[in-house]
Amino acid sequence: MATYLARRIGQSLLAVFLTLTTVFLLLRLAPGDPAAAYAAPSATAADLARIRAEFGLDEPLITQYGIFLRDLCTGNLGTSYSFHASAFQVVMDRLPYTITLAVAAIAVTTVVAVPLGVWMARRADTKRELGTNVLTITGQSMPDFWTGMMLLTVFAVLLPVLPASGFTSWSGLVLPTVTVAVLQLALVSRLVRREMTTALAAPYTTVARSRGVSERALTWRYGLRNSAVPLVTALGTRFAALLNGVVVVEVVFGWPGVGSLVVRALETRDYPLIQATVLVTATLAILVQLLVDLAYPLFDPRVRLGKAA
Amino acid sequence: MTPSPHHAPPDRLSPREPLRRRTLLRLGALGGTGLALGPLSACAGPTGAPGPGTLTLGLNRSLVSLDNKLNQFDAAVTVQRAVRQALTRIGPGMRVQLVLADRFAMTEPTVWSVRLRAGVRYSDGSPVTVEDVATAVEMYGKVNGSFLLGLFPELPTVEKTGERTFRLHTRRPVTVLDRLMANIHITPAADNRPEELQSGVGSGPYKVIEANSGAGEYTLARNPRYWGRPAHVYTVRVRFVPEEAGRVIALRSGELDVVDTLTPDSAEQLTGLPGVIVQETSGARINQLFYNFRKPRGHPLADPRVRRALTYAVDGDALIRDVLTDSAEEAQGVVPLALEGAIPTGGYTYDPGRARAQLKALGAEGLRIRVIWESGEFAADSSVMEAVADMFRDIGVRTSLLQFEPGGDILKWRQGRAGDWDVIGNGFPGTTGQALTSLQGMYGGTPERERTRDTYMGYVVPDVQRRLEDAATETDATARARKLADVQHTIWNTWPSLWAFAPKTMLARRDRVHDLGLLKLNSYDLSAVRLEA
Repeated sequence: MATYLARRIGQSLLAVFLTLTTVFLLLRLAPGDPAAAYAAPSATAADLARIRAEFGLDEPLITQYGIFLRDLCTGNLGTSYSFHASAFQVVMDRLPYTITLAVAAIAVTTVVAVPLGVWMARRADTKRELGTNVLTITGQSMPDFWTGMMLLTVFAVLLPVLPASGFTSWSGLVLPTVTVAVLQLALVSRLVRREMTTALAAPYTTVARSRGVSERALTWRYGLRNSAVPLVTALGTRFAALLNGVVVVEVVFGWPGVGSLVVRALETRDYPLIQATVLVTATLAILVQLLVDLAYPLFDPRVRLGKAA
Repeated sequence: MTPSPHHAPPDRLSPREPLRRRTLLRLGALGGTGLALGPLSACAGPTGAPGPGTLTLGLNRSLVSLDNKLNQFDAAVTVQRAVRQALTRIGPGMRVQLVLADRFAMTEPTVWSVRLRAGVRYSDGSPVTVEDVATAVEMYGKVNGSFLLGLFPELPTVEKTGERTFRLHTRRPVTVLDRLMANIHITPAADNRPEELQSGVGSGPYKVIEANSGAGEYTLARNPRYWGRPAHVYTVRVRFVPEEAGRVIALRSGELDVVDTLTPDSAEQLTGLPGVIVQETSGARINQLFYNFRKPRGHPLADPRVRRALTYAVDGDALIRDVLTDSAEEAQGVVPLALEGAIPTGGYTYDPGRARAQLKALGAEGLRIRVIWESGEFAADSSVMEAVADMFRDIGVRTSLLQFEPGGDILKWRQGRAGDWDVIGNGFPGTTGQALTSLQGMYGGTPERERTRDTYMGYVVPDVQRRLEDAATETDATARARKLADVQHTIWNTWPSLWAFAPKTMLARRDRVHDLGLLKLNSYDLSAVRLEA
């Protein structure tokens, strides 16, 4: 277990390092000049040169990379060009909003999609299952900005019961959460349906049924528990993706999360802020994946971490 | 392994038994459900609508600081000046009004005599001093790439002459110094830095009681120590709502009281809605389809007659009516007429037949024009460019459109370092409310500045530059106005723009908001705003 953990943590650190290096290089190869984005349109060539020097952008790429690595080792991710504050701190200020939205969206997805998937598995290939499938796929197919705007129009304008933007009260979480959850519902419910259908047709279920085990127990204790590993993997992957920010939803709802921060950072070519965002979100995403892997034995006792099957 | 159906799990956790997987799973499920339902159960809470004594503003850009050394956009000025003040400000009719100063007068061509108003204090009770003014000027001067510095021909030096009096010295006459100083916000000297300040006090009618610069959200409360007439509204909330549609919905739902910098589409949507008022006035910004003045001698576009002939192809009325939905006014001069000192110098005529004939006579048939612009440079920019390309096609001119994303390489192109182009979509603000500053910014290019590509699209006309310089240093107001008028005619006759327009300044507000005096500079005095009870 300890060896497995050490190996996974080593892999995770390597993945974060490679991600950061790739982002560092791609940012500097992409068009655009942070100095020009920072300065006024009337800034002179001399102004821009001074700004580049101030940001350290006049150094050769390899020197910039060396400085970046040195600062990274000391936990210094630089100062955001546009916020004039520690880039790491700016990201950390936004992160709670993103985590709140991601947790709420995944929780709502789980609470709705799992029972729905079970219900669909129990009614596989019936008209009602087909109808439900169409509904969830429709929800997934709708662009998130459209879903968001429709929800806003109905619940913030026509029936003004929920706030239109921002996170000024907990009720402000409802519409963004629902918008994100609608996109995940079809994916998760169909996954549960597929796994449950397989589990309910498996020989051990037939044997259990022949022993008189109730249908309810067969569904929840046999079927669902055997579907848990792929379900947890899918939810973990979606959760990790949400931690990178739900850009469109954040913009539509004025949600002050990491996604809208990245958009701004890219527009202003705010290298330190982009790098800090990537570091934080990549670390979180990898951490979530690691936790998911570590959780497997909880759901399936046959899984032994660090040992071949 | 799947558990045996005969091996029923214990109902309760025995204190002696280790924590079981099933218990862990149950606890996890319980926690997850709680996380999901907790926020949802709070849905019965407020809808986000502001309270009766709170005014909520929705900005389209994130206000990262209440300092303006770098972050200068129209709507921000309203909020920044509610907290930090300058010696003067530009008020209604583009007139200079005294704020922290009660005297600001040119006593010699290069000397202005200023006196601080008696009793002006910051929100912490400390007095505004001459040292604060001197430090502020010094700190603004040290900011790299500042928009404001570009407006000043030179920064003045401060000479203290008394407890409240001082002189501002310049090497050459700066006849609009009183206007320019409206942009230098005064803050206590000890806290001032050559960067945007993230904290600190101001002398304005409001003080900051809550700030989240990362999210661009601020809460302002009435400054109880304000030296002037107290603000009418107790609390002002400033929110950043990036998406225009989101701002419109939030205004309609009553969550926001004021949204500024409206696009024509949004203004159209909001006009006539119950509870919403769209307010507009002429704008001080000019948006131009500006020619590239770096064309070599012999190039068709280096000839002002060709530049003029091309203007006949553009149906300005159609663009204003159909594309910009009457949210702008076609330019009648080289700067917006809303600016003090601006005069009408001519107009754009739509006559494609004349365009074809003149191009043919000048040997400039079959031109190929490349138009460049940055997304968001002005409202409906892409539609305007596409319409112009269509109009060019009607006169046999082929057009290619090149659009840049914000933060991209437009600057390199503008400077002619990345590729050749013929027309650029560009806007120029009228921050000082005075035509002279805009004219100097756009048309005051010199060969020296052009060597580093620091002129406005390569516009270097020595005669124009010399006459602008002459007007700028003319201390007699009447003579200055005459010289300024003459040079505007000269500039117009160089046909710098294919077409130009001044967008109207527009905002929308709930009808409970009163006395919002929208200025042509797209800002307003927050302390004058009232809320209906």
